[in-house]
Amino acid sequence: MKKKLLLTLGATALAAATLTLTSCSDKDVFHIYCWNNEFQGFFNKYISDEKEAGLDTYHLDGKEVKWTQVVSDNGAYQKALDEALANNKNAKKSEKVDMFLAEADYIIKYADSDLTKDVTKIGLSKADMADTYQYTVQAASDNKGVVKGVSFQCCPAGMIYRADIAKEVLGVETPEAMQELVSDWSKFDEVAAKMKEKGYYMTGSYADTYRVFSNNATAPWVNSSNKLTIPTVVNDWMEQADKYVKNGYTKTAGVWDADKTKEFTASGKAFCTFGPAWYYNFSMTTAQKGEAELNADGTEKKDADGNVIYKEGTSTFGNWRVIKGPQSHFWGGTWALAAEGGDDDALVAKVMKACLSDEFSTSIIENEGQFSNNKKSNAKYAASGKGNAFLGNQNDTKIWVDMADSIQFKNNTIYDQQCNEGFQTEYVKYLKLDADKRTAAEKEKAIKSFYSYIKTQFPILTTD
Amino acid sequence: METIVNASEEKVPKKKKKVSYAKWGYIFVASFFIVYGIFTFFPQILTIYDSFWDYTKICGKPPVESPEFGGFINYANVFKYDADLGTYKIWKYLGNTVLMWVIGAVPQFIVSIILALLFTSSRLKLKGLGFFKSVFYMPNLIMATAFAALFLVIFDTAGPIHLMFVENGWISENFDFILNRGWSRFLVAAMNFLMWFGNTTILLMAGIQGIDESVFEAARMDGASSNRVLFDITLPLLKPIVIYVFITSMIGGLQMYDVPYVLTGKYNNLETKTIVMYINEVLRTYNYGMAGAISVVLFIVTGILSLIVFKTINGKED
Repeated sequence: MKKKLLLTLGATALAAATLTLTSCSDKDVFHIYCWNNEFQGFFNKYISDEKEAGLDTYHLDGKEVKWTQVVSDNGAYQKALDEALANNKNAKKSEKVDMFLAEADYIIKYADSDLTKDVTKIGLSKADMADTYQYTVQAASDNKGVVKGVSFQCCPAGMIYRADIAKEVLGVETPEAMQELVSDWSKFDEVAAKMKEKGYYMTGSYADTYRVFSNNATAPWVNSSNKLTIPTVVNDWMEQADKYVKNGYTKTAGVWDADKTKEFTASGKAFCTFGPAWYYNFSMTTAQKGEAELNADGTEKKDADGNVIYKEGTSTFGNWRVIKGPQSHFWGGTWALAAEGGDDDALVAKVMKACLSDEFSTSIIENEGQFSNNKKSNAKYAASGKGNAFLGNQNDTKIWVDMADSIQFKNNTIYDQQCNEGFQTEYVKYLKLDADKRTAAEKEKAIKSFYSYIKTQFPILTTD
Repeated sequence: METIVNASEEKVPKKKKKVSYAKWGYIFVASFFIVYGIFTFFPQILTIYDSFWDYTKICGKPPVESPEFGGFINYANVFKYDADLGTYKIWKYLGNTVLMWVIGAVPQFIVSIILALLFTSSRLKLKGLGFFKSVFYMPNLIMATAFAALFLVIFDTAGPIHLMFVENGWISENFDFILNRGWSRFLVAAMNFLMWFGNTTILLMAGIQGIDESVFEAARMDGASSNRVLFDITLPLLKPIVIYVFITSMIGGLQMYDVPYVLTGKYNNLETKTIVMYINEVLRTYNYGMAGAISVVLFIVTGILSLIVFKTINGKED
């Protein structure tokens, strides 16, 4: 009797297990890897079958779309992506990556590899890419010039400043006049000194100007014989950061730290920051919305629908303007690449074509404040006389159009993300020391510590 | 004994002659061994195997290429002097780990023993024991990462503690708790203390309650003072449980990872980097060989330390 009972129990358990396995069966989905939800939002609104925001599931040509999001900190996204792509051919249908997003810092690692597909073989033609900016194509190509992906955005970056502070401190009324005052780094320093006098910071983070320097590098981080050298421009930046911290022109907060972004609010003290269109539309929440109301336990207060409540009068919406600044540069950018081993080529091609289309490009310029990767749409909007409300109705597209053609994608290596982020992490340790302890020896120590960090991750690299 | 077995065998029908209940014992125990084999033993063997392969040339690239056989090269690299940092990384990180464990574990044991004695004292008869036990255990219920993230927010340069300290003029605005050697180590140790003292208290209480009450009674009848009872009866009889708690705490301490990683990982703080954080760091670029070698070293160190602890505490009886 007992044996029978045991058998029945066992059989039931087995049946239940089989049932669970089959019920989460291998569903064929359109699978996309990403590190944030920026593109996902655009996809849902403008490309998916549903074309509206806020739904639970979306489809493309009737097939369910699945997003896997891994945050990019410390190279975690690259690691997740590497592992998924390496096993992609044998992965289950529900896990197979069809398309993935990559950023300027590490795109060549994937574009210049067998992990991605030639986009012209999955249905894209050269004509589809005719209106795009050359550097976006170059970045997504392997060393033989085979194109592996496309970008929906172009990312020239400039100086984003508070018009009200400019007027108060410098008496400046227009972006053109402001540009005159900061057209090179020595003039930029003079403005910084004036800001300090009136109790403002020039920038909210010591690293705000980092990309302006690093993007104008004349040599890569790592040369062809695997030697790691700090580019001259990064040395220049180190000096500037050192000086700015010493003079109190900036703070030691990191680029993404709350300690910096709180300076974007109405009571904030930061005069300017640097970035492309995605930066002020996507990463300047404290400027766009203001300071969040807090509960007694320090969490953000939310309304019945789960939206964060912001304190009235704390936003600086409409007070910002954008100009080229001391040096033109570009920062970031999101590319969509076709994953080798993926089984939805037609859908990947459809998304890529959509990204480059006039319709999509116009939508993201007009509704999302983006700068698209379609020269025609950009030019049309630049001439339209419309503007971005966040920038006090300044037509930012006009500024970007002038800068976009000169962007060059060069001196990039597969080590760039770790080098750029690792360097800032190590250097800030020096900057955060008390003023009297910031000696040359301590600076050297920070650099050595950076070398050690990179060599632990990439033992093949050497230094002097 | 034999005759009894034979007698019972004669009575039962032939078919059921060889009923062996031992079989069920094995079957029930097997589940543990199977799970242990697949999820612990096999990966351990694999780790040792991996430690002999050289991944240097393919680090940072998608893991599609195969490594070369490297012999003991990874072990040589583990013990290599890091000229950039001016130190041996393995000893530095091991030192950090042990130091942070000690700073947290010593007060943890003292507080736990005091609390356990108070709670089990038949003279004090404290009320609301269940309540206190739950409250002390509570921090252990929170995920270590969440707990560390909370501390990170509180001690961040934009956080309330920083603000308070700056406003009182105790620190400069530039000061960062997370980057400061003393503070960051102290915070990690404090968190481990808060998370584990409740657990240790409960284990020690169980140990004390397991001691036969008649021993205490006899001592009191003979007029032994409270101190005498504590040092000559309670603590010696508590030794097995103390050894158990100490060794598990030490092994947990040597594997410290989540709390320091969440609190200080952002800054790559070398003063709070533990040995497991180091393993994770080399794993990020798929250096399975190096990670394997560090793991093996950690395994050996843990083994030796456990043995030393066991021998020292248990020594007198041998």
